[in-house]
Amino acid sequence: MSNRMFQSVIHQMQDSVERTIGIVDETSTVIACSDLNKIGEVCENVSLESFLTQPSLISENTTYRPFGANGRAEYIVFVSGNDREAEKTAGLLSVSLSNIKQYYDEKYDKGNFVKNVILDNILSGDIYLKSRELHFNSEVQRVCMLIKLANKTDISVLDVIQNLFPDKNKDFVINISETDIALVKEVKTQLEAKNIEKLAASIVDTLSGEFYIHCTIGIGTVVTGIRDLARSFKEAQIAIDVGRVFDAEKNIVKYNSLGIARLIYQLPTTLCDIFLKEVFKQGSIESLDHETLFTIQKFFENSLNVSETSRKLFVHRNTLVYRLEKIKKLTGLDLREFDDAVVFKVALMVKKYLSSNYKKF
Amino acid sequence: MSSVTLKNVYKIYDGGVVAVTDFCLEIEDKEFIILVGPSGCGKSTTLRMIAGLEEINKGELYIGDVLANDIPPKDRDIAMVFQSYALYPHMTVYDNMAFGLKLRKTPKDEIKRRVEEAARILDISHLLDRKPKALSGGQRQRVALGRAIVRDPKVFLLDEPLSNLDAKLRAQMRTELAKLHKKLGTTFIYVTHDQTEAMTMGDRIVVMKDGFIQQVDTPQKLYDAPANEFVAGFMGSPQMNFIDATIGKKGNTFTVDFGNASVEIPADKAAGASVDLNTYVGKEVIFGIRPEDVHDEPEMIEKWASAKVTAEVEVTELMGAEIYLYLNCEGNAVTARVDPASKSKSGDTVTVAFKMSRMHLFDKETEVAILN
Repeated sequence: MSNRMFQSVIHQMQDSVERTIGIVDETSTVIACSDLNKIGEVCENVSLESFLTQPSLISENTTYRPFGANGRAEYIVFVSGNDREAEKTAGLLSVSLSNIKQYYDEKYDKGNFVKNVILDNILSGDIYLKSRELHFNSEVQRVCMLIKLANKTDISVLDVIQNLFPDKNKDFVINISETDIALVKEVKTQLEAKNIEKLAASIVDTLSGEFYIHCTIGIGTVVTGIRDLARSFKEAQIAIDVGRVFDAEKNIVKYNSLGIARLIYQLPTTLCDIFLKEVFKQGSIESLDHETLFTIQKFFENSLNVSETSRKLFVHRNTLVYRLEKIKKLTGLDLREFDDAVVFKVALMVKKYLSSNYKKF
Repeated sequence: MSSVTLKNVYKIYDGGVVAVTDFCLEIEDKEFIILVGPSGCGKSTTLRMIAGLEEINKGELYIGDVLANDIPPKDRDIAMVFQSYALYPHMTVYDNMAFGLKLRKTPKDEIKRRVEEAARILDISHLLDRKPKALSGGQRQRVALGRAIVRDPKVFLLDEPLSNLDAKLRAQMRTELAKLHKKLGTTFIYVTHDQTEAMTMGDRIVVMKDGFIQQVDTPQKLYDAPANEFVAGFMGSPQMNFIDATIGKKGNTFTVDFGNASVEIPADKAAGASVDLNTYVGKEVIFGIRPEDVHDEPEMIEKWASAKVTAEVEVTELMGAEIYLYLNCEGNAVTARVDPASKSKSGDTVTVAFKMSRMHLFDKETEVAILN
């Protein structure tokens, strides 16, 4: 809130209060006053710290009282005089100015605006009007990240992340729920866009290293234009949801890297059931034990290379061939054949998806 | 100060991905232990399980004498330093180190005492009023360490904390960390994929691969007596030379045969084999020899006359204190680390001798060491 706005309010109030009234900022400088000559003067005996132990202060025949949005002491209002009336007037002005400040902050808070944009709480036609009103640069590249905490915590994670990204004009840290925090980050160059994953890693590492908080971060795509921020945020949400099913071991999931998992995640579960029944004979996929599934996973990781996989599994090549034959017998799919391997890989992912108990359709 | 014990620990993610298998390790109080292995081998997962950031699916973790499986991370009395540390850009070094304590509502006097003590240990007392922008990479790294030290933990967990630094600074910080360990007298568990870091810093090294422990031992023992081909190849730079060979026998002497070459295994060396070498005669094995044990000096060729071969020099690399010769020896790529006085040049055909007292043999099927 600008000094001019405060001066305007003081100017409107001065006729109702037959005393000199004014406002002091955090540096103890008078920034607005009914007596214009006092603007710029420094009140050396008064500071915000003075009110840590008392609600009001009387100094040099003037009564002082703090005010600010959300109960925080950000400014000090003063009324000339040290009598009961001066104290009452200062109290009234403090309440009134606190509410004005809060209303102003909410209306002109860029963070609030971005929150409304990403949560689709604002009409698309109003987005550009509001962004102009707030001098919000709507044409820069930005990316949305969703930070999901594994558990509720006593530590204010919002504070931690806000301190990691302190530039409140470029980066916006938004509380979505008790366990979800959104970060809307300005991305200036192509190089920065490539480093988004590193940035996410630094958040994960700071939260876990410093505060023992386990979190998962979903990263949306980099978008230009404020309207697409909502899309980037939804992508970050999808990245976390899909990652939880298919990449449970990962802390950071990028929407762009979801690949075939994104496709499977869109499928109706009924269709997935039908697919599994068609591909496998009744119950055959369930008949594969943990060791066999581990073998298959390693076989896929090693590009269907029998020698390499057997080495990685510390087993003889023939042991692996025997296991693959057993899988072929059980499922009818020969994993050494590319087409069969693709079907099996997709089927395993579909099974993972179904067993995650996600019911959409 | 505390010991850490892991008993048959497993980490299996939803969906069946097994990250760590049957991990058993006893870490002594005040020990500096290194978990090393290629990426994806489960070392960071193990560290995160000790920290409590990953659930242990099976097995037991003890910190001191207390079973810690279900103790929340904040109550485990540990501190962590990770690879991607981030400092708060608008805060001073003091505030960066104090921030975590402030959020935990530690009294101001206590915060001041701990930050100043940590700054003294790390020799950054003169930087406490600076902001991260005004610090060098090494100084920032020290601040990140300081944030862990102020917690005064029983155990430090460090996950590749130096990997964001350039090579020169990394080498400097390696020494600083080793000194810090001595100063603090606390248990350090350090994860890295860099075998040089592992060799230079740790009291003991745990080599991991695909979620399995391959070998746990002191750096020297790991280097001299690797348990298998993977450990042999992973530890040491340039890595050990591996040659597909067959075991032969001339009279009472065992030989290693490859191509047209045949080199003799000294009798006292053969006697130290973990198996009866007679059972391997005629069988294929992997012959391992480290680059520093391949010599082109005449006196060494004379000394190891029963283990000399001819090879073609493909490339030479002068490293200053030594020269790497990249040789083609009977169709096998062999690297030799020789004295800079060596006259060998690219294209030369040279005679080299293997110092057979330092040779290794691995089973071709199981890759397990049969002779170190």
